[in-house]
Amino acid sequence: MSPAVWAYSENEGVSNEVASAAVEVAEGASAEAVVVEIGALREGARSPGAKLLLKGPASPQVSPEVAAEALARAAKQAAPMAILIGATRNGREAASRLAAKLSVGCLSDGSKLGTDGSTLTAERNVFAGKVVAKLSCPLPAVATVKVGHYARADAAPGETREVDVGPIQPLVRVVGREKKAAGAVDLRSAKVIVSAGRGVKKKEDLPLLEELAKDMHGALGCSRPLSSDLGWLPEEYHIGLTGVTVRPDLYLAVGISGQLQHIAGIKDSKIVAAINTDKDAPIFQASDYGVVGDLYQLVPALRKALAARR
Amino acid sequence: MAALDFGYLTVYLLSLASVVFAGLMVVRRSKATSVSIGPRRLLGLAKDETRRLMSGDPVFLMHLSIALGIGVTIANAVMDPGMGYLYPLKVLFLVVSVPLTAGLIASFVWRVQVYSRSKKEERKLGASGKFTSASTFLQVVLMLAIGLTTSELVLLWFPSMVYADLLLGALRNSLVAVYYSRPSVNLVGGFDRPLSALKTPFNLADVMSGKTDASQISVGVSKVSEFDRSQRLTFDSCVEIGACEAACPATAAGRPLSPRVLVRKVSLLARGPDAGASPFSAVGEDELWSCTSCGACMASCPVSVKHLDIIYELRRDLVTKGKVDKEKAALLENLAQSQNPYGLKNASRADWAREVGVGTLASEPGAEYLYWVGCISSFDQRAQRIARALSKILRQAGVSFAILGGEEMCVGDPARRLGEEGRYQELALQNIEKLNSYGVRKIIATCPHCYNTLKNEYPQFGGNYDVVYHTQLISDLIREGKVKVPPEKVQSISVTLHDACYASRYNSVFDEPREILGATVSDVREMGRRKEKTFCCGAGGSNYWYKVPQQKSIAGIRAEEASETGAKTVATECPFCLSMLDDATKVAETGMDVRDVAEIVADCIS
Amino acid sequence: MKIAVCVKHAVDEAELKTDPSGRPVLAGAVSRMSAFDKNAVEEGLRLRAAHQGEVVVFTVGPADSKKTMKEALAMGADRGVLVVADTAAIDTMRTAGLLAAAIRRAGPFDLVLCSEGSSDTYSGQVPPMLGELLGAAFVGYARKFEVSGQLVRVERSLEDSVERVEAPLPLVASVVSEINEPRYPTLIQIMQAGKKPLEELSGDQLLPHGEYREASVVSMSVQQSARKRVLIEGSPDEAAAKLLDALTKEGVLAK
Ligand SMILES: Cc1cc2nc3c(=O)[nH]c(=O)nc-3n(C[C@H](O)[C@H](O)[C@H](O)COP(=O)(O)OP(=O)(O)OC[C@H]3O[C@@H](n4cnc5c(N)ncnc54)[C@H](O)[C@@H]3O)c2cc1C
Ligand code: SF4
Repeated sequence: MSPAVWAYSENEGVSNEVASAAVEVAEGASAEAVVVEIGALREGARSPGAKLLLKGPASPQVSPEVAAEALARAAKQAAPMAILIGATRNGREAASRLAAKLSVGCLSDGSKLGTDGSTLTAERNVFAGKVVAKLSCPLPAVATVKVGHYARADAAPGETREVDVGPIQPLVRVVGREKKAAGAVDLRSAKVIVSAGRGVKKKEDLPLLEELAKDMHGALGCSRPLSSDLGWLPEEYHIGLTGVTVRPDLYLAVGISGQLQHIAGIKDSKIVAAINTDKDAPIFQASDYGVVGDLYQLVPALRKALAARR
Repeated sequence: MAALDFGYLTVYLLSLASVVFAGLMVVRRSKATSVSIGPRRLLGLAKDETRRLMSGDPVFLMHLSIALGIGVTIANAVMDPGMGYLYPLKVLFLVVSVPLTAGLIASFVWRVQVYSRSKKEERKLGASGKFTSASTFLQVVLMLAIGLTTSELVLLWFPSMVYADLLLGALRNSLVAVYYSRPSVNLVGGFDRPLSALKTPFNLADVMSGKTDASQISVGVSKVSEFDRSQRLTFDSCVEIGACEAACPATAAGRPLSPRVLVRKVSLLARGPDAGASPFSAVGEDELWSCTSCGACMASCPVSVKHLDIIYELRRDLVTKGKVDKEKAALLENLAQSQNPYGLKNASRADWAREVGVGTLASEPGAEYLYWVGCISSFDQRAQRIARALSKILRQAGVSFAILGGEEMCVGDPARRLGEEGRYQELALQNIEKLNSYGVRKIIATCPHCYNTLKNEYPQFGGNYDVVYHTQLISDLIREGKVKVPPEKVQSISVTLHDACYASRYNSVFDEPREILGATVSDVREMGRRKEKTFCCGAGGSNYWYKVPQQKSIAGIRAEEASETGAKTVATECPFCLSMLDDATKVAETGMDVRDVAEIVADCIS
Repeated sequence: MKIAVCVKHAVDEAELKTDPSGRPVLAGAVSRMSAFDKNAVEEGLRLRAAHQGEVVVFTVGPADSKKTMKEALAMGADRGVLVVADTAAIDTMRTAGLLAAAIRRAGPFDLVLCSEGSSDTYSGQVPPMLGELLGAAFVGYARKFEVSGQLVRVERSLEDSVERVEAPLPLVASVVSEINEPRYPTLIQIMQAGKKPLEELSGDQLLPHGEYREASVVSMSVQQSARKRVLIEGSPDEAAAKLLDALTKEGVLAK
């Protein structure tokens, strides 16, 4: 086992987060954090230490099947103590396959990753975020890293080593990829939902919330009156008892009073936040964070603040 | 009178034969369907008809004219040879023939209107040409029967026209024999069947104990041949009177349902060549989901057709085949997993009660009454105010009561009306076990669906309780002086009462809330459709939990009716009605206040 | 087409109780079929309807998992195989190993369906591992299948994109919940499903321990249960900043 912790993600931004996680883990075992690249180096992928380029696949756009095989071949030679992979959908797949190929354990969606030199430890949320579990796995191990938990590393990479893992013939062939249209996001699988209620005064004001949803990489939803009674939005936007049931990470209710029929559809959301002018609105009882105020002031303020942070 | 005139004899015998033919047909049909038409049933029917008549229903007035018109003309025809000796009777017939003729003419005019409305509905629903002509045919037969009877009554005045009279009578009697013997039998057999009566395809307790083999159970109807004999009789009895269509809130809202069309479609299919035909070859899914189970169709039907039999059987089939959309599936999942339709933690049912210090039976086992709160008043913040109001009233009156709290489960009505009989019975059995374990005797309910289920449906599964509706108990308490409304506390507001279908139509509770309002508010106004003829709020039959395509909302129609009275407040007696009308009055921006009767009372006591 | 569907008898987080020291009580916790697994069963049934064949459900779990099995059978699966094991004490690799062994024993199968993740732990690891262990092609997060001959065209639902892939049979795949609306089995159908064939295997006999290095759960503690109900005040700009800070801390702002 070499004293190295590998970091990989097919997504550049996430790769930088995983790099930070790798640095933290490596510190605990006085090991080296190495950012792994497959196919070719990516400009935007930073690395606090060395980079390892796995040559063989032609481009960095690899499927999880190819990524797992490339990582497995390289790991069999170099034997790193831990391989951390960003917990995107593709990353989860790559990590699980890698663990199976190497016959090692796999921690998933970890935050607070660390090691004492013999085991890899992490924390993660289970049971819909109600319970925090502390996990451990004997080294060598694979883990996926919770997206959005670690700050992005910003150091310029040091030296780059190269390993040729040879050509890889995947069973699954990618034939195309399209961006999901904003708005066409299925509310049930959306991670962030900005939801409009009757506090929105007219149909023409809806783009305001739609933009906010876009800024947050989320989808727009609404309370029933906006779709069923006023017809401002199609029915599939309507959340609640008689509409869709959603379970996003963040549900932001804007100008929604919070009647039970609406709450019934959002109860599984991880975090509920609300903006409402009425401090006694029932929505605040059902929210984690509430802002008492006018949506026409707060939404622009939020957009401004978001833009400033990007 | 020409003695032994051969021509007359032929005509008379023909007329007599037609009467016998009609009589025999009725007897044959009653035998074939095992419906007894003994004197006791007939007397009961007469009483029931009188009751309906007294309620001033114009449809029944017209039907009485038709029935009596037929009776008088038959009696006249049969006695015709002896009329010389029965002169006073003849005079009587002549006298009654005047109002009857008026009634029959009114009926005819009404039929013409029904005809044009029914054709309009059929066009809206996209009924097939075959269906439309079958329907037109029956309506024409009915108009013909009315026309013939009217002519006979008129001809009574012209003794010289006796041949024509008898011949017209014979023709009419033959129509009665062929087309109206079935509805007559159905009426005698079904007039007193309670609206809440539902066929129970299995008994879950027996299935669980192994007494019934689960694999032998079939639920719902997937082939027309699977309707049982009494169900066949009821829908084959439809003669296109059309009263149901006029009463149905789903039809009024432009939903894809007319109870008349539904029943006739199924009847025509069942009489068709293919006994294995699926009812869904004629009936659409949304047609079934459109029904609110309000019972207006059945209550208005002069021949006792049970439309809901079809609806429940076919909904059961849809549920069995998994043909429910995500809202209905979510409702059923929630009932299965959380024992309430919201899918909320059932343990939090008593949160409202803890805040106001209402105890549970677990802590107060000696309480006289169990207050059955129901899901909506347990969880919905608005409806919780009803529970709080009732608690305040009962406290003031010194009535000892407690709730089940987290041990209460959904009564099961939403599952049953949606067609998931198994889940209903599971909930019912668990609730009954709990109630019996506490030795509960008396129950108060503020939700008419809970009330109806506890009172009328639980006994079949071993739950026998003395169930009272909150409006009944409160009006008693006011009358007995246990709840005092001092004159200065009487509210000067104008109120109109919206009767809940499951309280008023299903269970004849409608005078009590009016007594309460009489004692608590200054100005009570009535809507046209009230008491057992109330118009649904749109929530029943599980409609609260899903959407149906419609042109306007049922609650919106009702809110408009309420606002037309000029009243500023709509008094409700059901938490679902409250929720629906609250929503509808807001959408329509009528500025009306919607409150439960109990809330009004609670505001009048200190 | 022979289809295997893997389902989990998962602890219902809504009914999860906590012991006095703040740990979740898993022994005897209310469990039911993991929500998304119903989508996998449903997809299996739909594919069977289109291509004929058989749907067999597999579960690794405690003996109590029969409840979940019966539900899947009531939905329409033909038979079930239950591998009895203490799911709380084994990791994803062993779960995948047990499933692979049971599927091989009852196979061969053309298609093995799982859901994207179980509702209790949602690690999503078992399906890809299963693909590896069975040596079959694997496609994760499928939202649409199109089978033609030995080729399957699949649409994968990724975070912000839809990817179209082609895979050969035999195939292991995980599905997302948007793929279909699972049917609701009635109570009577669940009782009737008791008559369908259900095989019970012992996990310990099926696969010796020590085959893989196993990860384990060291401890668990319950986080907040009710909503936090924090009210944020200040001018619009201040409030917006505070709200974003709080949401960032919760880690719920998508990047
Ligand atoms: C059978 C039935 C089923 C139902 N099913 C559903 C369902 O599935 N989903 C659903 O959503 N509803 C459902 N409803 C309707 C539900 O009861 C409520 O009427 C609805 O949710 C209210 O929508 P709302 O909160 O947008 O509007 P309102 O209740 O009118 O609330 C508007 C809110 O906006 C606030 N506000 C106003 N101006 C501003 C401003 N400038 N800035 C910020 N806040 C402002 C107000 O304080 C108020 O709290 C159902 C109702 C019934 C009867
Ligand atoms: S029960 Fe009510 S809604 Fe249903 S068909 Fe009859 S009248 Fe219409």
